[in-house]
Amino acid sequence: MSDSNVVVIAEQLQGQLQGITFELIGAARALASKLGVGVSVYLLGDTISGHCQKIITMGADIVYVVDDPQLSEYTTLTYRRAVLAVLEVICDPPPIILMGATTIGRDLAPRIASYLETGMTADTTELDIGDYEHTSKTDPAKAGLFKNILYAIRPTFGESLKARILGPWKHPQMATTRVGVMQALPEDTSRTGIVIPVPVIFQESDFRTKVIRTVRDMSTTVNLVDAKVIISAGAGLATAEGFRLVEDLASIFKDAVVGASRKAVDKGWISSAHQVGQTGKTVRPDLYIALGISGAIQHRVGMQNARTIIAVNKDPDAPIFKYAHYGIVADLYQVVPLLKKEFRRMTTDYLH
Amino acid sequence: MLRVICFIKQVPDTSSKAGVNADGTIDRASAKRMINPFDRFALQKAIELKRSYGAEITCATMGPPPALEVLVEGLEHGADYGVLLTDRRLAVSDTLATSCALSAVIKHFGPFDIVLTGLQTTDGDTAQTGPEIAERINYPQISYCEQLSLDGTKVLARRVVEGGFQEVESTLPVLVTVANSATPLELKNFCNVAGVKELLRNPEQKSAKLKIVSLDDIGADPSRVGIVGSPTVVGKTWKLGDIAGSCVMFMGESAEHEVRELVTCLIEDKRKRETEELVNV
Repeated sequence: MSDSNVVVIAEQLQGQLQGITFELIGAARALASKLGVGVSVYLLGDTISGHCQKIITMGADIVYVVDDPQLSEYTTLTYRRAVLAVLEVICDPPPIILMGATTIGRDLAPRIASYLETGMTADTTELDIGDYEHTSKTDPAKAGLFKNILYAIRPTFGESLKARILGPWKHPQMATTRVGVMQALPEDTSRTGIVIPVPVIFQESDFRTKVIRTVRDMSTTVNLVDAKVIISAGAGLATAEGFRLVEDLASIFKDAVVGASRKAVDKGWISSAHQVGQTGKTVRPDLYIALGISGAIQHRVGMQNARTIIAVNKDPDAPIFKYAHYGIVADLYQVVPLLKKEFRRMTTDYLH
Repeated sequence: MLRVICFIKQVPDTSSKAGVNADGTIDRASAKRMINPFDRFALQKAIELKRSYGAEITCATMGPPPALEVLVEGLEHGADYGVLLTDRRLAVSDTLATSCALSAVIKHFGPFDIVLTGLQTTDGDTAQTGPEIAERINYPQISYCEQLSLDGTKVLARRVVEGGFQEVESTLPVLVTVANSATPLELKNFCNVAGVKELLRNPEQKSAKLKIVSLDDIGADPSRVGIVGSPTVVGKTWKLGDIAGSCVMFMGESAEHEVRELVTCLIEDKRKRETEELVNV
């Protein structure tokens, strides 16, 4: 059959559709309307066909569903086989395939891209459609004006640059998209669509990797990425015990998360799950308080998109004061108890 | 013997200013160089495999001749061999083209039981090259790996997933991308660094330890690498806005005074934001 729709590969965990799926459908609809096509979703898993209707009411036109007991847990090779099964049903490669920039999407999408020998862009934060004129002396064979291609836009080089990545020569153009960036559409229960079940035939080599167990505990996880308030500390803390003071300050906010610089993690004061920065997490909270963090570029790239950055440091020449919004030059051990007291006095709705 | 190849990459030092060429790519010539910080975790895993299972470690990289520096660093950490793939035709390779070139290195110097890569690089942040290599060489893959051990002909691994971790087993051979939450890299205490330096001064020893190869040497297809073999191109890059110089500083008075001033400013900010939101509505 022929299907030139924009494709979203849905993400589900233990049979539950993940929010990123609806965000991707929202993004795909915007691209599809510019291209004058529809949106197709590939839904892969075990006993998941019941979700097809929801996917349609969230914006899909066609759902290809591969429902197989062997897909109960995600593994690279079994899900790879399921995607290839759908691609075999469709004669021509789709123009665009989108997945979430999750541990599943970032594991599977490049594997598919490599199989299809096509281009892909990781961790995009904006997607658009536009034209591109390629003029290159080194590869004249690829030169030309390309209409209606995918603009895959992403932060790069830490987060200090944004880049527009283009792959006009091959279909599909693939991208993973960062969680929480794209907007899901409001549900429209009157929408109708087509559901196409696709069978999959596995090969023995698809089972070379097996999941022994998965342990997820959302309650105790350090969820820096979604945190609205982050209280972070670095070398200026001087001791591991100092983090008690940091936690104490965090405790007055609703759902504040404790962060740390690489120096604090390297000294063993706190686990690497708390690390913000280039080799840690990239965060964008409403409020970021940096205590005793000098703020080298490696830290900056992980937190510079916070709405308000407050830095406390004894050294007035610390680099962090070059990009913080507010700076206090003082000993953090003196400042933190005062901050706690003053924040408490503020209207509770600021904090909550 | 367990044979392991660990890919490491030389990247521009991000603490130096990011030079951007007119075509949007990074100006690698003017930037300072360092080993990709994520690759240190892969190198650490390689050295652990050497210590625990007597694995033979080859560290390999692709890049211009100065990339030899990261291989020397690999040897100093305890790797047995270094391979540099260097060729002008590799310039401006995207991840797919890079995976093609690195697969050719694996095929030429292999077979390898375990291929290790860092999770991603600091100059690309894609985390794609590992899985793209695995597809080309038909290996299973374990991405975001924190712990790795051998159990007969299988590997057991712990990998990071959202909100937790996952234990997986895989047959050998396998490609593993190592998470940055893996055991932190111990510094250069695995082998005699001075000894490595001394060894590399001897041209014969050096050529036995470090191999420098071109695309032709390893039989790689030049039409599938570099600018001609890359399906993607960087169309345009732009710098994110700088807020330098806008920091409101509180200093010189008592800590009490400064904290109170700061909190007053925060309340004022919030009030302004709310007013703007009202106006926008």
